[in-house]
Amino acid sequence: MPPLLSVENLSTHFVTKAATVKAVNQVSFQVNPGETVGIVGESGSGKSITMLSVMGLVPSPPGQIVSGQVYFEGQDLLKLPLEQLRQIRGNQMAMIFQDPLSSLNPVLRIGKQLVEAIRRHTNLSSADAKAHAIHLLQRVHIPNAAQRINAYPHQFSGGMRQRVMIAMGLACNPKLLIADEPTTALDVTIQAQIVELIKELRADLGMAVVWITHDLSLLAGLADRILVMYAGQIVEQAPLLDLYANPRHPYTLGLLQSIPRLDAAQQTRLRPIAGLPPNLANYPQGCPFAPRCQYAIDRCTTEDPTLEAISPEHQVACWVKPERP
Amino acid sequence: MANLKPAMVADQSLEAITPPSRAQRLGQFLQALLRSPGAKVGAVILLLLFAVAIFAPAIAPFEPSQMNVGPALSPPSAEHWFGTDNFGRDLFSRVVYGSRLTLMIGLVAVGISMTVGVVVGLVAGYTEGWLGNILMRAMDVLFSFTETLIALATVAVLGPSLRNAVIAVGISSIPYYARITYGAVLVEKNKEYFRAAKTLGARHGRLIFRHLFPNILSPIIVVATVGVSVAVLSASALSFLGLGAQPPSPEWGAILAAGRDYFRRAPWITTFPGLAIAVSVLGFNLLGDGLRAALDPQQRQS
Amino acid sequence: MTRYFFKRLLSGIFTIWITTIAVTLLIHLVPGDPVQIMYAQSQSTTPEQLEQIRRNLGLDRPIYEQYIMYMGRILQGDFGTTIRGNQPVLDLLLVRLPNTLLLTTASLVVTIVVGVTAGFFAAYKRDTWIDSTLMTAAILGISVPSFWLGLMLMYIFSMQLGWLPVSGTSLRNLILPAITLGLANAASVSRLTRSSMIDVLTQDYMRTARAKGLKEGTVLSRHALRNGLVNVVNMLGLQFTYMMGGAIVVENVFAWNGIGRLAIQSIFQRDYPTIQGFILIFATVVVVVSMVLDLLYVWIDPRITYK
Repeated sequence: MPPLLSVENLSTHFVTKAATVKAVNQVSFQVNPGETVGIVGESGSGKSITMLSVMGLVPSPPGQIVSGQVYFEGQDLLKLPLEQLRQIRGNQMAMIFQDPLSSLNPVLRIGKQLVEAIRRHTNLSSADAKAHAIHLLQRVHIPNAAQRINAYPHQFSGGMRQRVMIAMGLACNPKLLIADEPTTALDVTIQAQIVELIKELRADLGMAVVWITHDLSLLAGLADRILVMYAGQIVEQAPLLDLYANPRHPYTLGLLQSIPRLDAAQQTRLRPIAGLPPNLANYPQGCPFAPRCQYAIDRCTTEDPTLEAISPEHQVACWVKPERP
Repeated sequence: MANLKPAMVADQSLEAITPPSRAQRLGQFLQALLRSPGAKVGAVILLLLFAVAIFAPAIAPFEPSQMNVGPALSPPSAEHWFGTDNFGRDLFSRVVYGSRLTLMIGLVAVGISMTVGVVVGLVAGYTEGWLGNILMRAMDVLFSFTETLIALATVAVLGPSLRNAVIAVGISSIPYYARITYGAVLVEKNKEYFRAAKTLGARHGRLIFRHLFPNILSPIIVVATVGVSVAVLSASALSFLGLGAQPPSPEWGAILAAGRDYFRRAPWITTFPGLAIAVSVLGFNLLGDGLRAALDPQQRQS
Repeated sequence: MTRYFFKRLLSGIFTIWITTIAVTLLIHLVPGDPVQIMYAQSQSTTPEQLEQIRRNLGLDRPIYEQYIMYMGRILQGDFGTTIRGNQPVLDLLLVRLPNTLLLTTASLVVTIVVGVTAGFFAAYKRDTWIDSTLMTAAILGISVPSFWLGLMLMYIFSMQLGWLPVSGTSLRNLILPAITLGLANAASVSRLTRSSMIDVLTQDYMRTARAKGLKEGTVLSRHALRNGLVNVVNMLGLQFTYMMGGAIVVENVFAWNGIGRLAIQSIFQRDYPTIQGFILIFATVVVVVSMVLDLLYVWIDPRITYK
């Protein structure tokens, strides 16, 4: 089966007079139909910018996609005329964002914001579109949908707002839903509800999901495959269980060691990763993680490693590839 | 100038923790200020304006009020750069001398409104309570009267003259400065350093002059710089209406008003003083914009 | 909403009430004898006549009595009579007020059309030559004195090109004063609109709108302009107030027969009853119009309505 989304050698830079920030560097990955892929990394690792580049939503200026191809169902989105890309956006490919309050227009009723997404990509009459909008709200379990459709965003709670955002994303039954840290701004209990909701909808609609997060533990039981990003590069990718059991990049290892585990022995300590990520305006020579890496060898400071397969589905960009201690 | 953080935000090295000296901070500030081309142009205009005012006797080829130095109502020429008026006075000399009046008007009027306004705002903000409430309510009422109405009412009471126009313009902007100061004081009062000083038992005088005042200075400096341009415009408008400087004063608004009678025959009499007002006001506006940008830490980071 | 309305109404009434006090006091702040100053310009007033006038104006009584008298007369629509000609002040003002309102309204339209459009494009084309050209024009615009701009426009369009009349009070005469007053304020409105639009254009909901695949025109008109306009409406009240002030000057440039022109004449003539009437009417108009515009703002922005 051909992949739904195939990103090849994507690089996105932010160019200002003062500096060029290399936010995404030579990133390649694929998403298969119906598959859920998690992208993990610290803030500034390029995970959101990668997916915004796929959607064609990188603010420009200063953002520039300097190289690469983004194939969606075999079509290179980066070469498409803008109008054709717009017909795919919100239709076959949708995105939901971190902060549902600021992501919804404060002066428009949510019904209007849903209906405009529906009518853009269908020929429904405004009455039918409204009925569909109510149906969508019911689908994401918003009570009294028929009444709530006339409310403004500020009249909803944070969790309900994110449900509205999800309903908006689902407006045209997309084949791919990109979720950019959709639970970060929410309370922990609400977070779990949103994760459950997406799982349920994913199963019903058979859509692929790309879930961006800085929280590796959140992806357990949710993602099929995980990409780990650091300093604008993918440093490791593997199926979920493989990655948890056998992390081979020191950064992934660090991420796993900083997650508290209920089943761990008493003596195990949480180990934060020391140091800070590199300044992307002044990209370092060699492996970008080298200055923080306890396994670093001389080669790491001079040569940047590329992804290398250690099994058919597991790739790592590291010269050392240490086994878990 | 509490906002003058070292401009090293992107660089997260630990060196940034050492506070820069006062001279370094001033240097950084000037650098940030002159980085904007607008502020540079503004600074040049104002330097020229001050130079013209100071050296007016050396620059002006004629006495500003001497009549018949040339034929009446003659257009601009090599001898009379800006032409002559109906009395045969040299317009260029009059405009050059007028710069003295303009600077005086702008600075004195802003001096009045700033002094009174800052005191009112400081007292209201520092005491809050009923006194602060009454003061700020009074300022709100004055503010809704608009500056023009206050200035007109003042001139109506005092009678038309340059001195009264300056006082009127000065009074008319008091509510504006009071509001800015009041707002800034309330912000500073809730900061940790101020609470700490208060808890440690600092006296009122020390709290106000040592802690509050230096920290509210930068917004007031910005407002006052732009305020000079507002004052110059208002005062020249009063003179234009005949309520400010009276003939034969070489005040620019007054020259312009007198030239209106000969507008069709001698448009240069109205053109040059107006241009002079516009350029001077532009200088203060440009510098004010530059100061605002340089003092605003958010803008400086980008 | 109702609570906000009554609060706003009360503060408006309060301002007008303070104005009546200020207007009563005004005449007592005049250095010297106000009656003598008032009548200095008219010949042959004997000391006895001056005394009679003083009694008629009630200036011989205690201030609080004068205030009560003045309030009583105002509430009956009696603003006194002019010093010369003995015309009722209120009639004089009410005849001219529509002209001033016509001028300020027309100017407000010019301001909004020019200022909002320029500010919007400057923000949308931020940091390009379009932005810097528009913003250079704007700072030049706020630096030019309105009376001078008016005279220059008059010189070009009336005297040189002969397209428009020089002065007077008809609809054709309205064009130049409205453009003068409108442009003067458009400059500052375009700066405010630009910064408010830049704020709006970088909001997350703009990205959401684009993520839906909406056309750029829809994104801008429905999502950006709408939110930007909320801020523009918010500053309309203040803009109208500036307009009223600016109108006084512009009316005098173009001999537009509004209350501003009357005010300047009465200040020259030291006609205090007319000056008092003018200040009261001016303050009332400013208070009422800014109140209406503030309510419009509350009505437009749903976030405020429901708070």
